[in-house]
Amino acid sequence: MEYVSPEGLRLDGRRPMEMRQLRAEIGAVSGADGSAIFEMGNTKVIAAVYGPREVQHRSQLNNDKALIRCEYTMANFSTGDRTRKPKGDRRSTEISLVIRQTMEACILTHLMPRSQIDIFVQVLQADGGTRSACINAATLALADAGIPMRDLVTSCSSGYLNSTPLLDLNYVEDSAGGPDVTVGILPKLDKVTLLQMDAKLPMDIFENVMQLATEGCKAVANYIREVLIQNTKQLENRHADQLSLSLFRKLLLYGFCSWRIIKFLEKDVEEET
Amino acid sequence: MEAKPSSTSSSKFVDQLVVPGDVILDLSSMANQTIKLGGGLRQDGDSISVMKAGTLRFTKPNKYWVESSHKRYVPSAGDNVLGVVVDTKPENFLVDIKGPALAFLPVLAFEGGTRRNIPKFEVGTLLYVRVVNANTGMNPELSCMDASGKAAEYGVLKEGYMFESSTGLSRMLLSSPPYPVLEALGKKLSFEIAVGINGRFWVNASQSSTVILVGNAIQKSESLSMVQQKIYIEKLLKSIQ
Amino acid sequence: MWNYDLFKRAITLSYKRFRRILAGEIMEQRLANSLIMTVNEKNFIEAALLSDLRVDGRRPFDYRKLSISFGREDGSSEVQLGNTRVMGFVTGQLVQPYRDRPNEGTLAIYTEFSPMADPSFEAGRPGESAIELGRIVDRGLRESRAVDTESLCVISGKLVWAIRIDLHIIDNGGNLVDASNVAALAALSTFRRPECTLGGEDGQEVIVHPPEAREPLPLIIHHLPVAVTFAFIGKENVVVIDPTHHEEAVMGGSMTATLNTNGDVCAIQKAGGEGVLQSVIMQCLRIASVKSGDITSKIKSAVESYNTERSLRKIKRHNPPAGYKH
Repeated sequence: MEYVSPEGLRLDGRRPMEMRQLRAEIGAVSGADGSAIFEMGNTKVIAAVYGPREVQHRSQLNNDKALIRCEYTMANFSTGDRTRKPKGDRRSTEISLVIRQTMEACILTHLMPRSQIDIFVQVLQADGGTRSACINAATLALADAGIPMRDLVTSCSSGYLNSTPLLDLNYVEDSAGGPDVTVGILPKLDKVTLLQMDAKLPMDIFENVMQLATEGCKAVANYIREVLIQNTKQLENRHADQLSLSLFRKLLLYGFCSWRIIKFLEKDVEEET
Repeated sequence: MEAKPSSTSSSKFVDQLVVPGDVILDLSSMANQTIKLGGGLRQDGDSISVMKAGTLRFTKPNKYWVESSHKRYVPSAGDNVLGVVVDTKPENFLVDIKGPALAFLPVLAFEGGTRRNIPKFEVGTLLYVRVVNANTGMNPELSCMDASGKAAEYGVLKEGYMFESSTGLSRMLLSSPPYPVLEALGKKLSFEIAVGINGRFWVNASQSSTVILVGNAIQKSESLSMVQQKIYIEKLLKSIQ
Repeated sequence: MWNYDLFKRAITLSYKRFRRILAGEIMEQRLANSLIMTVNEKNFIEAALLSDLRVDGRRPFDYRKLSISFGREDGSSEVQLGNTRVMGFVTGQLVQPYRDRPNEGTLAIYTEFSPMADPSFEAGRPGESAIELGRIVDRGLRESRAVDTESLCVISGKLVWAIRIDLHIIDNGGNLVDASNVAALAALSTFRRPECTLGGEDGQEVIVHPPEAREPLPLIIHHLPVAVTFAFIGKENVVVIDPTHHEEAVMGGSMTATLNTNGDVCAIQKAGGEGVLQSVIMQCLRIASVKSGDITSKIKSAVESYNTERSLRKIKRHNPPAGYKH
């Protein structure tokens, strides 16, 4: 099957080195300390962060650093067919472990000893590159929660089909049986923290493919930085608004309460007379 | 442990290998004698039988015990051991000494120790300590002072590397005349060594290569006979030159 | 009424005390189960590595001694890498194929981490590290198409061979991934499945021939993907190969590269941990390709001697020595 046409266009019309469209939203889960939705093309992932908070199982308490826990699940409806076992299977456990270890490398855990940080990631729509989207979403959620980090972690995948390195594979390209390289980097330090690869690749071609994925990560990093700056600006405005809003709400409530009390008292007085 | 008095006769198993269940003495045939039983032996009515596999030893006038080498240590009072701090409590440090239970080191058990100058040991500190008492079923108690209250050499061991071995090797390292491997290494290299009877020893030297050499040489020599040890050490020292 | 209140208070207080005691006990148990490390060890390991020395006397890129032996049955192997011991067992069964792959057999890897190997392993459900190990070995073997699955098809769409690899960890001395991978490869290389022919009136009946009747067939293995694990230790991220248990406890991150002797990278797993430069990763891959060549030749020679021994055994069986009567 032809994944790259002779003109150099992929199945969805992209060029080989073109990434899918990115979209991020911060603050999706209001009950969480930090949350984010991250979309890469048709892949949509939501991440929520709780913490730092008290350790729930005292036996796991660590005296010099924070305990990081991570859970990765796929929603039943995320792939085409309804999945039977969305969590607890081996693939989910491995990806949970991978995400946890990747985020652990960038969180400054020694600043929050004896506490726990929970990261929950759920895939809402799966179209290839779920691992990368999860890590990007987790980074945003951690930044939203204000957890001290060494650097952002961004991730992107790449592959090699029809003798061409391709950036950001979607599901069809991923299941073609060719190699799939997922890279996670710390962009400012320019260091690789996550690297996973399967299927076969000669070593020199692998170097090109990894380089391409790293470039993709840097592009994602720029986008995430933009989103965070936008969000911080909005938060500053939102706070000012919220203050006045809450005051207004309080006034309304007091007004309503006092009106009810007066009505009640009036009724009493009426009944007496 | 003392037994019924009996006549003067030593067991025919002395200096031989015994296994659990062997009866080494039958007290009914002896009369009016005091026998002291050390580790590895128990009294079962009229017979003294073996609990642990090893070599039966006897010293005059009347002490019997089984000499064996294991990876775990049975705490007994008066021993010098190497412990690792695993937790701190308000009154004690919890120290692991490879025994059945964690040992307690009171925070005041240091020379000139008062409530004001309690040492701060983080988890993982290596200590050379003395076992004060070790009653069965209770956590053993340690101290960083000798019997007269002086610090002597007890305390924190800084730098260097701790190697795990067996209780038998520790006994050999502490024996006199000195262990041949130790003597030969000491003639050529300069290093510091602390041996705990609980199957741990610590080596420190100015160069990491010396520490690694000494530690691995001692560990490997445990399973060699006297002759083989000599050959091994000679080869080793030649290769350093 | 007041009796009930007092009773409730007593229960709550005793429960709180019980919980505290339990937390203390669980803490002691957790301490007892994990490796007791001294601060001296971490500092010493890092300091010694600055002069290219490791605690067991190896150099940073030396492997420990690897020995491969086989059991009596086909498809069972035992690998010892330093203090690490792993056993591998391969079994085959006839099953229905997956709907989206009707012409291919299947390959599944199961790992057994018993507390016998390491007190920090929990009995029962596999923990995270057990699953990660299974997935790394699985990715190296399956995605790189090392074992030919199309030859495992008996009747397309109806019956195929399902190969199951069981890895039992006997002793954890560090670097379980490499040892388990070698055990899996060795066991797969010596596994033989019974030959089956199609018979019956419509040619749809499958006759499985017992090993005495027809010689069982080996699996078709295209290449041997060998896993090589690197550990990054200390602030300068010094790279060492084949970490021991103690080095694993102090490392900042690790990377497993699975390569074959054809120069292909079959799988890479670097799951987080300390960040490293891309140039370091490429250097590690180059070293890994050299090491994988060594390990592959070791596996091949061990399998060859096993095969010659096996055929000798068969000859003895078929040609009994003189004087032996049936």
